[in-house]
Amino acid sequence: MSYASLENIQVSYDGRTKVLEGLSLDIERGELVSLLGSSGCGKTTTLRVVAGFIEPMGGAFRLNGKDLTRTPVHRRNFGLVFQSYALFPHLTVFDNVAFGLRLRKLSSGDIRKRVEAMLEITDLSAFAGRYPKQMSGGQRQRVALARALVIEPELLLLDEPLSNLDAKLRLGMRVEIKRLQKRLGITTIFVTHDQEECFSISDRVAIMNKGAIEQFDLPEAIYSHPVNEFVARFVGFTNFFDLAKVGPGRFRDSHGGEIEVGVDPGAESCVGAIRPEDIELSGSSAERRNVVPGIVEVRTFLGQSYQYELSTNLGRLVANAPKEQAFEPGTRVFARFPSERIVLC
Amino acid sequence: MAAKRQLGLTAFSAAVFLFLAAPLAIIAVTSFGEASTIRFPIQGFTFKWFGAVFASRSFMSSLGLSLMLAVYATLLALAIGIPASYALGKTAFRHNTALRSLFLSPIFVPGIVVGYALFKFLVIELRMPVLAGLLMGHFLVILPYVIRVVGASLEQFDFSIEEVACSLGCNRAQAFVKVVLPNIGSGIVAAFMLAFLNSFNNIPVSMFLSGPGVSTFPRTLISYIEYSYDPSVSAISVLLMAVTVALMYVVEKTLGIGSLAK
Amino acid sequence: MRRSLYVSLIAPGLLLLAAFLFYPLIVVLAPTFGSGGPFLGRYIAFFGDPYYLRVFARTVRIGLVATMVCVILGLPTAYYISRRSGRAKSILMAVSIFPLLTNSVVRAFAWIIILGREGVVNSLLLALKWIDRPLTLLYTEFSILVGTVYLFLPLMLVTLVGSMDNIEEDVTEAAASLGASRFVAFMKVVFPLSLPGILVGGVLVFTGAITAYTTPTLLGGNRNMLLATLIYQRAMSLSDWTGAGVIALVMILMTLAVVKGMQDFAKRLDRR
Repeated sequence: MSYASLENIQVSYDGRTKVLEGLSLDIERGELVSLLGSSGCGKTTTLRVVAGFIEPMGGAFRLNGKDLTRTPVHRRNFGLVFQSYALFPHLTVFDNVAFGLRLRKLSSGDIRKRVEAMLEITDLSAFAGRYPKQMSGGQRQRVALARALVIEPELLLLDEPLSNLDAKLRLGMRVEIKRLQKRLGITTIFVTHDQEECFSISDRVAIMNKGAIEQFDLPEAIYSHPVNEFVARFVGFTNFFDLAKVGPGRFRDSHGGEIEVGVDPGAESCVGAIRPEDIELSGSSAERRNVVPGIVEVRTFLGQSYQYELSTNLGRLVANAPKEQAFEPGTRVFARFPSERIVLC
Repeated sequence: MAAKRQLGLTAFSAAVFLFLAAPLAIIAVTSFGEASTIRFPIQGFTFKWFGAVFASRSFMSSLGLSLMLAVYATLLALAIGIPASYALGKTAFRHNTALRSLFLSPIFVPGIVVGYALFKFLVIELRMPVLAGLLMGHFLVILPYVIRVVGASLEQFDFSIEEVACSLGCNRAQAFVKVVLPNIGSGIVAAFMLAFLNSFNNIPVSMFLSGPGVSTFPRTLISYIEYSYDPSVSAISVLLMAVTVALMYVVEKTLGIGSLAK
Repeated sequence: MRRSLYVSLIAPGLLLLAAFLFYPLIVVLAPTFGSGGPFLGRYIAFFGDPYYLRVFARTVRIGLVATMVCVILGLPTAYYISRRSGRAKSILMAVSIFPLLTNSVVRAFAWIIILGREGVVNSLLLALKWIDRPLTLLYTEFSILVGTVYLFLPLMLVTLVGSMDNIEEDVTEAAASLGASRFVAFMKVVFPLSLPGILVGGVLVFTGAITAYTTPTLLGGNRNMLLATLIYQRAMSLSDWTGAGVIALVMILMTLAVVKGMQDFAKRLDRR
């Protein structure tokens, strides 16, 4: 049995708008699971159900076998980190971190030891006497983390904790979070809309859309084998084309061109997808299979490569090609889809 | 042209400030006059009128009444207004705007009408003691100030820290006391000051709700002006102004004058 | 928040309001309608009675004039204050707020000293031999007006400064860069942008002026009644409870009408 599980959770506002409908999720002990999706998909609502701020209309939430669905927030012992950090402005860093421990009626000696240890781990010892408003965004983030971790929570819940940081800090902090999480072995749920951030640190990712989970799997699996168009778009596939089956592994696209694909899902028709960086462009091509002719409309410079927007008889395609191979707008090019790079969904 | 316009504006503003300040300055001066009627400029110089104020039984007892009334009315307004503002500020129920308007509704009822209605209903019809009506009347008049000022404080308040406090183990009440109150403290103090002042200075409500032995300080003052007319009124004015200045100074040092201007 | 908690936080206040404001008002105002005559009979009689009509007209008149004077005096002064910064501004704001915190009796009393027969103005004019008999300045509409302006000007100032402070510096700078002189910038940029503040301030002053009690009592006397002093007289001296009730409702409706009118006007301004 999994460590934490949401079973068939139903949440609606005003009894009318259904935010979560039949949502289920199983999380193993010690893993870092991310909920990834764009705003409005229900990921924050899910997190708040786990935290206890929202009582679901139906379904259950269990932790280690115990049903916590109706347990009030202050009895759950979960660590929370918000996007805005939500530090107590009227308390010093030390008091912020000690807050939860003080409520647990530990001796002041114990509290001091644990707080100081946590400040050490999060590199905040120098700031113990400072107030939140005297600290930078990154530092406040760490205080929020320290405060949540020091109570030795059963679950760590992070709601877009890095969104308010600048790009460089974000990279550094996400490594920090992963490091701490692994070191302390705390089961963690991480909510974000940033796909790259999510995939880099998560053990498993749940892609959410309109209150439901589209795919819940290892990041590598989602990246290479998205189950549907929504997930595929999320992980970077921008080119989609309809395919009709003509034989095992062989399909016809909407313009009659033949496309050979590495796998055979069995369906008669499906949607093929390919990443911009997987398309091979050339000025001429002798092959007919897996090749789509097109005209360059727009070219943008990406640094290591050029990105081309092509108009083809399959519609608009986006392809990246190394900068050594520069095609002018208006040129006729041939886009080759390597069969092992095509994903069917 | 710009410089001339500037001078004109400065002169105009100076005149307006003079208009605001001069009358109060004149009162201050007359409080020291020897003569038993108010004269300006004054002849002689004495502090006797200040002494007369403190010696006067009617002034002192009505002062005591007004202070006590202000304290009770303010405490009641805070006890009602803070929880109500909290509920309105934290939730997003669709009736919140309407409810907030209800709490602010005493603003639309002229003070004199409030006094009249309470007098007729409570004192005449229900035969309740005037003091009760006075307390409720003041409470009604100052409640909107509490709702407005505390409400504004709560608008700036980040409720997610309350949620975090709960996740760390506080129940609702603990979270409110440990985390919400300390962070809206300045708003509460400002509300207290505003409410207290407006209760103490209130006249319309107190006009109706007075009786034998029950007369608020401003009301006693009005009667005194209408029947006698000597510099003790000036002395009282000076004392009141001095207290106001002291209060403003305290507020400035702790909260900044801005909080009173809302 | 749980419904039960919400209710327990809101209910006590609502109950007190209902018990001590709404219900008494209904009990006191209901008898003014109907009962042996047309439903609005007493109200029609009120506006038909020349004495009442005079009082009503006087109240509105003083309200309007006081508001206009406050705007005229307040607008330039507020602009001046809002252009200052730092220490000077704080001091000026403190000077403007101070009268608001003093008792209205004190503020009216000042004008008794100034406008009375043996008051400052008369003493001065007599000393300068500009007049040979003291002028009757007190207990006139004029004295009520002066007292009312004095009472509400600080309120108008504070409101206007607040509104003008919200107008960012860059807006006037942009106007200047486009060729507007200081005066033109004021008329075409600052003034229109402070209209909401003028509206709010104007409504506060007007509703305050038409419902004020202390100032007309001390400075107007029995000959120059306003609605507020009229209620008191009707109720206390003459025990005319229904008469007082009629006036009370008229005052409430006037206040509501003015505020609603302002809100509608402000909405129309917003749409522009």
